[in-house]
Amino acid sequence: MLEGFLLTVFACTLAIIGAVIIGALMASLRTSGNRIVRGVAFAYSDVFRNTPFIVQLFFFFYGLPEIGIYIGAFETGVIALSIIGGAFVSDVIRSGILAVDQGVIEAAKVSGLSRWTIFTKIVLPIALRTSVRPMGSVLINMVLTSSILSTITINELTGTAKIVASTTFKPFEVYLVLLVLYASLTYALSLLINTVHRRLNRAMDTGGAA
Amino acid sequence: MRYADFTPYDLVLLAQGLGVTVGLFTLTTLVGLLIAALFTLVDYYRVPVLRQVIVTISEALKNSPVLVQLFLVFFGLPAFFHINMTPFVAASLTISLNTAAFAFVIFRSGIDAVEADQVAAAKVYGHSRWQILRFVLLPQAAAFSIGPLVGLLVNQLQVTSLISVIGVFDLTKIGNILNLRTLEPFIVWTVVGLLYYALAKLLASVGARIEKRLRRSVVWEGI
Repeated sequence: MLEGFLLTVFACTLAIIGAVIIGALMASLRTSGNRIVRGVAFAYSDVFRNTPFIVQLFFFFYGLPEIGIYIGAFETGVIALSIIGGAFVSDVIRSGILAVDQGVIEAAKVSGLSRWTIFTKIVLPIALRTSVRPMGSVLINMVLTSSILSTITINELTGTAKIVASTTFKPFEVYLVLLVLYASLTYALSLLINTVHRRLNRAMDTGGAA
Repeated sequence: MRYADFTPYDLVLLAQGLGVTVGLFTLTTLVGLLIAALFTLVDYYRVPVLRQVIVTISEALKNSPVLVQLFLVFFGLPAFFHINMTPFVAASLTISLNTAAFAFVIFRSGIDAVEADQVAAAKVYGHSRWQILRFVLLPQAAAFSIGPLVGLLVNQLQVTSLISVIGVFDLTKIGNILNLRTLEPFIVWTVVGLLYYALAKLLASVGARIEKRLRRSVVWEGI
């Protein structure tokens, strides 16, 4: 089960990085001035948030080879997890962007900074900081969702537990341990998020924002 | 006609799957909300021991994957306690408890969101704890809770798709069957996805309507 545990951690780490990148990108698009761009980014988050992950997973798992894209189950799983995570993250970051004080943006404009600089160097960093906490619950949810990857033959934590349960004939004990393992994993993640939150806000207070 | 082609009967299958999904979702929502209400009562009256037990259970359910909970109930319980368990019973039990765990937190924060001054004022007038709950806290907490609650239920609707893994013939399971037979993943999963999407949107619009009504009946327009 240790191997499965490590695979879960690995898959989640990759997917979380992917989700934050996709989320930040989509959030930027959703706050853009162009209506079509905004509409597309909204549709992305709307569709992926309102359909079950398992359906999305099967869509990619069975669908990609159909159009000639042959990648392994693991890659498919990580990509699917990044995409649904990105949909939720984009919502969080979007509200972070909208919450940035208009005065700060005004000041930056007056200072003669270009729109691109204002967005990437001022608005986005502030938005990411305020988003850390709500994003935390999204990321925790992603870790829990990663258990569904076991349905497409990936032997991560849940997948290996299934094997152990069927070889030892002790499903109750195995799944109870599994439940505790996931709970400690999410607890560790929430501690990490708290640390990041505190550190980023300290940087904010001392004006040491990069 | 090849065996692998779509047939009109597939629509019947899809409709059946949709029915199972909607039925199980409705059942688990009702049971889940009822349990959550009981949990909230226990928490409100500060029943010793029971209160800690409930908080622990709710935390455990919130911090572990639903899939693992399903496996624990469907494979674990029968093996450990030597009882019979059908996929449908296991699914209903798990999803109900899961909904209850999340709804409990929403109800509790709804009650917490009501100003403490109001409760103090009601106490001074000599109202009992039950009267305070019924006439002061409940109407306002309901208005506060309904928004997050609808969000939760939309999410729980997606969660019901996991019961296909333990063999309940819901919409996702039917999708799986059609997918394996026709080998048309794009068509099958798009249709299944759209059905879930439509259900979620329907649920959200009904929720918005209820929220409007509840907000209207609250005299104090909070936040």
